[in-house]
Amino acid sequence: MLAFTLQRVFQSIVVLLVVGLVAFSMFRFVGDPIDNMLGQERTDADIERLRGELGLDQPFPIQYGKFLKNAVQGNFGISYRQARPVSTILAERAPATLELAAVSGLFAIFFGVGLGVFTAIRRDGFAANAIMTISLLGVSLPTFLIGILLIYVFAVELGWLPSFGRGDTVKIGGWSTGFLTASGLKAIILPAITLGLYQMTLIMRLVRSEMLEVLRADYIRFARARGLKERAINFRHALKNTLVPVITVTGLQLGAIIAFAIITETVFQWPGVGLLFINAIQFVDIPVMAAYLMLISVMFVGINLIVDLLYFSIDPRLRIDRSAAEG
Amino acid sequence: MLSRTALAMLTAAMLSGTAAAETFRWSSDTDPQTMDPHAVNSAPVLGFLNNVYEGLVRRDKGMAVEGALAERWEPIGKDGWRFHLRKGVTFHDGSKFNAEDVLFSYQRASSEAADTASWFAPVSEVKIVDDHTIDFLTTAPNPIFPDSIANFMILDKGWAEDNNAALPSKEEENFATLNANGTGAFKLVERQPGLKTVLEPHGGWWGTVEHNITRAEFTPIQNPATAVAALLSGDVDMINPVPVQDAAKLKQRDAVTVIEGIEARVIMLGFAHAAETLKYGADAGKPNPFRDARVRKAVAHSVNVDAILQTIMRGSATAESQLISPAMRGYSKDLSSRPAVDVGKARALLAEAGYADGFSFGLKCPNDRYLNDESVCQAVVSMLAKIGLKAELDAMPVRNYWPELRADNFDMYLLGWSPGTFDAEHPIRFLAHTPNKEKKLGSWNFGDFSNSRVDELLPQIQSEIDDSKRQAMLDESAKILQDEMAYVPLYVQPLIWGTRDNVDLTQRPDNFFILRWTTVK
Repeated sequence: MLAFTLQRVFQSIVVLLVVGLVAFSMFRFVGDPIDNMLGQERTDADIERLRGELGLDQPFPIQYGKFLKNAVQGNFGISYRQARPVSTILAERAPATLELAAVSGLFAIFFGVGLGVFTAIRRDGFAANAIMTISLLGVSLPTFLIGILLIYVFAVELGWLPSFGRGDTVKIGGWSTGFLTASGLKAIILPAITLGLYQMTLIMRLVRSEMLEVLRADYIRFARARGLKERAINFRHALKNTLVPVITVTGLQLGAIIAFAIITETVFQWPGVGLLFINAIQFVDIPVMAAYLMLISVMFVGINLIVDLLYFSIDPRLRIDRSAAEG
Repeated sequence: MLSRTALAMLTAAMLSGTAAAETFRWSSDTDPQTMDPHAVNSAPVLGFLNNVYEGLVRRDKGMAVEGALAERWEPIGKDGWRFHLRKGVTFHDGSKFNAEDVLFSYQRASSEAADTASWFAPVSEVKIVDDHTIDFLTTAPNPIFPDSIANFMILDKGWAEDNNAALPSKEEENFATLNANGTGAFKLVERQPGLKTVLEPHGGWWGTVEHNITRAEFTPIQNPATAVAALLSGDVDMINPVPVQDAAKLKQRDAVTVIEGIEARVIMLGFAHAAETLKYGADAGKPNPFRDARVRKAVAHSVNVDAILQTIMRGSATAESQLISPAMRGYSKDLSSRPAVDVGKARALLAEAGYADGFSFGLKCPNDRYLNDESVCQAVVSMLAKIGLKAELDAMPVRNYWPELRADNFDMYLLGWSPGTFDAEHPIRFLAHTPNKEKKLGSWNFGDFSNSRVDELLPQIQSEIDDSKRQAMLDESAKILQDEMAYVPLYVQPLIWGTRDNVDLTQRPDNFFILRWTTVK
């Protein structure tokens, strides 16, 4: 177990270094930050001076080296655009993204599992078929379109929910939360649905097919023969045995939720790190881009690690196999 | 049980809602990146801060210069300008405004760390005469100096020094990046960069209050469709800009009004004047035809600007023949007609220059800088094709665009220019004068256009006090630029804002939104 964890951690570090290197070598093609930092009346001398001050005149391996050295110490530099420390800006923006990801993740799991079980049990029912058909839409429509659609229906036409932003937030320590105000709760509904819809459909379809598989298994028939209640069979025995692949996918999708939040955040002007990243690209804010990409890769690597470890606790067979192999 | 309580709380929270009816909320696609008026010389920053800070002079609804912190001013012979400061003005924190603050702000805004230093290039010295009189001495007579400092904003000396913000900072945060203490009609009460910026009226403001706003919230909204939705749903009271393609649709909606005007920005085509050879297209490496004025004129005669405006701009822009719009000071009225669209004439000019069969070349174009810039370039390409010129279009984001232009990687390019001083001298200095690093001239003249007479006239224009003599020289310059077809001016970019019906505001051609002219019914 320890060896396995250490091995995984080592692999993760290598992945991070490679991500950083690739990202950094690409920044040169994103564009030149200088013009965004200087006004219309800048001179060529100003351009050269600023380029030197920012270290942009150095070859990129040196820039990358400097970045790594600082990043290890938790210093991601100063944003070119906002002239404030990147770590401060990220800390300001992270709660918005994490709250959004959490709500849409819960939405996806709750409705995904629920509807998945429902459509599996009532596989030929009208409602189940309707849900399956509609869910196809959820997978095939692009996120920004769903977002705009929801805005037009619920904000513009019906006027029930706000069209953009996060509403009022309350500060608890360093964390700004939208969960404690009415406008904050209203504001999270549409973005969370937009962001979680794809994942919900995915989980639903996965649960459904796994359930159908499991419901045909012998132990379910025996359970039925034993006269157990339908409810106990479906949820205690069948659902539990479908969960391993569901957890894998959900875990990996959690990373995707945070990463895909970029689009949702742009459509809803949701003030999270995704929106920050989009802005950073527009203004070639290299320190922000670099820090964001590193954070996202840390997160993906971390989630993979956790999912791997979770297998151990959920699936006893893995533990037995491994201890047998190790022994 | 727990979930039921939570649900009840949620419902209760939703029903109560938040009501702040007098709050005016507006949005734009760009957040002002700093609250420091000297750190960044860009329209989003200066436009926003015009509500918070004030200069010695300011521009009125028609862009004319009027007194702000200076009540009046007069030239000191040929040596500079004397400003008589307004008395009884207080900053937002209550401290008194006097000449010390002006001198301090001048030193701050003209320091190496400031992005606004170029405004003060002609200034040799600033001298306090008394508490409410200050002299700006210039190296040469400078008739437009008051015009050129309309966005020079005054900070409180004590406040800046106490908070370690005596110098602006672009590379690092300082107190003035997030806080403000001006004399303007509104004070900054909350600043969350990229999210929300809140202003409230300054109770001790010296001017007459025209607005009825008690609180104003600014939120940047990048996505144009979201901004339109926010306006339609009433979540914001005003958006800037309205996407050109949505303007017509918005006009038909009941609750919103579309306000159209023209900006100060002229969109034009530029050429590689100095390059020996073409760099792009099938004829790359062959001699550069754009060195010949006849070829440039042929381009001017082949581009149907009216058609571009009708289709791509949906009729909301005006064609232009000079590097500045008619609203600017020093516009040459006699030179206001554009070259007629005439394919025959264009072809004849090409033939005369030895390119009867046309040639192919590269056209560089930004795709996120000006309104519908890429579509305009595509239209230009198809129009040039009619006279046998094959343009290879290369459109890119603006963050890649300027480096390409600086590296001379173009045969022809698209450029928009908004003169910061609202004066005809500005584009001559930046776009038409031969590039000269020492004198800091021609810094946006990417194609290296050079005309000795234009170069000779510029310093004379800059120091001519007599208005009619100055205009004559501006006219001469404009005439040369037209005859030589240094640039092909296309049109003045439209300005399209959207408001809720109950909002009354003034749209200024520099795209500044001035809160103190805004009322909500």
